Amino acid sequence: MPVLTGRELRIVGFLCNWCSYGGADTAGVGRFGQPTDLRIIRVPCSGRIDPLFIAKTLISGADGVLVSGCHPRDCHYAEGNFYARRRLEVLKRFLPILGIDPARFDYTWVSASEGQRWQKVVTAFTDQIHALGPAPRYSDVAPELLAKVAAVIGQGGNRVAA
Amino acid sequence: MAAVKYISRDKLPQWLAALAQDRRVLVPVAEGDGVVFRPYDPAKEPIFGSDATAPPKSAVFPACQELFRYEQTKDAENPDKSTLELIPNLEMPATVVFGAKPCGARGFLIFDRVYQGKKFPDPYYKAARDATVFVTMACAKVENTCFCHWVGSGPADPAGSDVLLTPVGDGYTVEAVSDKGAPLLDSPLLTDGAAKAAEAEAVKTATREALGEAPDISSAPQALLDAFNDMDFWRDQSDKCLSCGACTFLCPTCYCFTITDEPAGLNGRRMRSWDACMHFQFTLEASGHNPRPTKAHRLKNRVGHKFSYYPTLHEGLIACCGCGRCIKSCPVSVDIREIVQNAVARSKA
Amino acid sequence: MSRLEDLKARIKAALPGLECVIAWQKGYDPLHNTPLFIRTEADVDKLEWGPLNVHNPAVYLPSFRGKKIGVVVKGCDSRSVVELLQEGLIDRDDVVIFSMPCTGVIDLTKVKARIAAAGTTAGAVTAVATDGNTVSVTAGGETLTLPLEQVAADKCGSCQFPNAVLSDQFVGDPAAPITPKAPVAADLATLDALSVPERMAFWRYQMERCIRCYACRNACPLCVCRDHCIAQSREPHWLTQEDTSTEKFFFQVVHAMHLAGRCTECGECQRACPMDIPILALKKHLNRTIHDLFDYQAGVDPQAIPPLLQFKVEEDNIKERGW
Repeated sequence: MPVLTGRELRIVGFLCNWCSYGGADTAGVGRFGQPTDLRIIRVPCSGRIDPLFIAKTLISGADGVLVSGCHPRDCHYAEGNFYARRRLEVLKRFLPILGIDPARFDYTWVSASEGQRWQKVVTAFTDQIHALGPAPRYSDVAPELLAKVAAVIGQGGNRVAA
Repeated sequence: MAAVKYISRDKLPQWLAALAQDRRVLVPVAEGDGVVFRPYDPAKEPIFGSDATAPPKSAVFPACQELFRYEQTKDAENPDKSTLELIPNLEMPATVVFGAKPCGARGFLIFDRVYQGKKFPDPYYKAARDATVFVTMACAKVENTCFCHWVGSGPADPAGSDVLLTPVGDGYTVEAVSDKGAPLLDSPLLTDGAAKAAEAEAVKTATREALGEAPDISSAPQALLDAFNDMDFWRDQSDKCLSCGACTFLCPTCYCFTITDEPAGLNGRRMRSWDACMHFQFTLEASGHNPRPTKAHRLKNRVGHKFSYYPTLHEGLIACCGCGRCIKSCPVSVDIREIVQNAVARSKA
Repeated sequence: MSRLEDLKARIKAALPGLECVIAWQKGYDPLHNTPLFIRTEADVDKLEWGPLNVHNPAVYLPSFRGKKIGVVVKGCDSRSVVELLQEGLIDRDDVVIFSMPCTGVIDLTKVKARIAAAGTTAGAVTAVATDGNTVSVTAGGETLTLPLEQVAADKCGSCQFPNAVLSDQFVGDPAAPITPKAPVAADLATLDALSVPERMAFWRYQMERCIRCYACRNACPLCVCRDHCIAQSREPHWLTQEDTSTEKFFFQVVHAMHLAGRCTECGECQRACPMDIPILALKKHLNRTIHDLFDYQAGVDPQAIPPLLQFKVEEDNIKERGW
């Protein structure tokens, strides 16, 4: 479905099949209203998520990415979310050096029965992204910013000579 | 032979600006620690007199080029049928490449025989080639990686250029080399250069002398064929090679490409992009078999192609312009001169 | 006998049992050394040791798996060897590690900048002499004496591992680690000082001149996938062939993320780049994060498991947000 231009931003969700996708289902069955920006991609486990999925999503122009999995200790595959927690925390701290606001990415744990929690998380995250606005694109960097950075780099400024 | 003209160094920016009125003018500028060809910007001083890190190859042969777009339209009456429309992209902007060294322009002579051959002329290449004028600058100094004189060229070689500038004192003499280049000399910023012609010739001679004698590599084509099955020889030459593509992509004469399609639903684009024979994937076949499975095989092909197979097919023209970028930019300093000489010595032994 | 003679003697003694020993020799000009693959005693005599040995010979080791091989390493190179051992990419029994203490290697880009400032070019260099502290470069008839610390690679200014972390034959007295002049490496400090949007502009600008040669990938000792790299695969299709800064930058993101918890900051990626793009900063930043989160450094303990290949049920340093 096309994004409702002017009203919706592009937010992608990676949800684990067992807990979080179930939780989103529970929210739907319970008719808990929430913003419609988030579009879900279902994966078997949060441990299947390669942090590069999130990086590619953001660099390709998404305004926000939310990952949700089972609570640690409750992973359907026992350990997947423990690995995911490490990888995603590392990714979240890596984003700012790439020039991406780390607030555009969050990861959370929502279990299959937590429909209300899912509603709260989606609403809070969507509001967070709307507050940040549409994401800047690498292909669209303002010429003044490029010129400013070029001046900082200088010529031969890549290397430090004492 | 048309008259020699002259332009003083302080008038160059005006000439560049005049040319940029109706064309894309590419000049070497610093970007970070590298020197690359970019559209002329009066705020950025061009860097002439030393070799740009990357040659101006992309002006005529872009690193990635859209050949055509394709659009499929389904028939509303009959969903099984769809029509396919191909929309070629032959728009090549009129371009002047200003300030390359002669070796950078000479590379296109090697391209021309392949891309403008009688059997399969390439319309994309032709459009870009026809739209591009090379104004090169003869060299006034040499580097220890320059070996243009080994391959039948030289620091003031006009072959491949349309206009040749030679540095003299506070300016440059300007000579038209081709019919395409001659109109550029009509600019009112240029004055008569007859008085400087002798000085220009002296600069060219001195630079050529600074290069010294070229070794005799006339036996290289046969020597490289003689070594074809000697994989121990090629192992020794390629041991340190990392099998990246730096040498290939920085080479003014390397012309290989790959074609990829980027679909987006029913539409898409067909793109041609640079490919490197040093990469494993270059000859990887769909079955999984690879006739050049090791870097020894691939280096043998690269050197063989440039100094043996191509010259044999093309009346002795060596597919190398001797610019030395492959040597300077190789992370492990593989030296193609050494490999050619080793092959020649191997045959003599 | 000198240290170098001692090293050569030990290599000659070990050579008969080995396919080859990887080291360094003189290159095409006085400013360049180049990797040396010693197969005969005569080859051993070509061995050079000094600040021109910029290459990391560990990059060749995985391709010799199954054969017995020797390698001469600097301290930083030995960390790559250890990381390869940690990941089971080479076998300890098949590698003989030779080393000597290292006082730093040059950064060729810095040397070239100094030569250019003196009015001549690196292509005119006729002689280079080095002792432990200076590099004297003769070009165009003039000799420039450059203090090594001014033209050394950035990593040398804060070297904590001047001696091989793991070796079979170590010749010489161990050198002391260097106290860094600044708490944060210069290239990281430059990026730290930029705002997030400015950093996006920084990478957009820097990656414009990338030629996608993959020298960075192929020079990395830990990028062992190289012939099967996802950057060049159609299935899965991570990257297109488009020549845009964004596409080229995404490759760097892939490369850095694949090295998270594995990179030993040898700097080969940046050194190998023919366009001089400062890509090491991405990996340094990741290493800083890995260190903060897991108190871990790659390539130091051959028995250690890289942090992203393991987990703790209760993490010490990961504090998650409340919703």
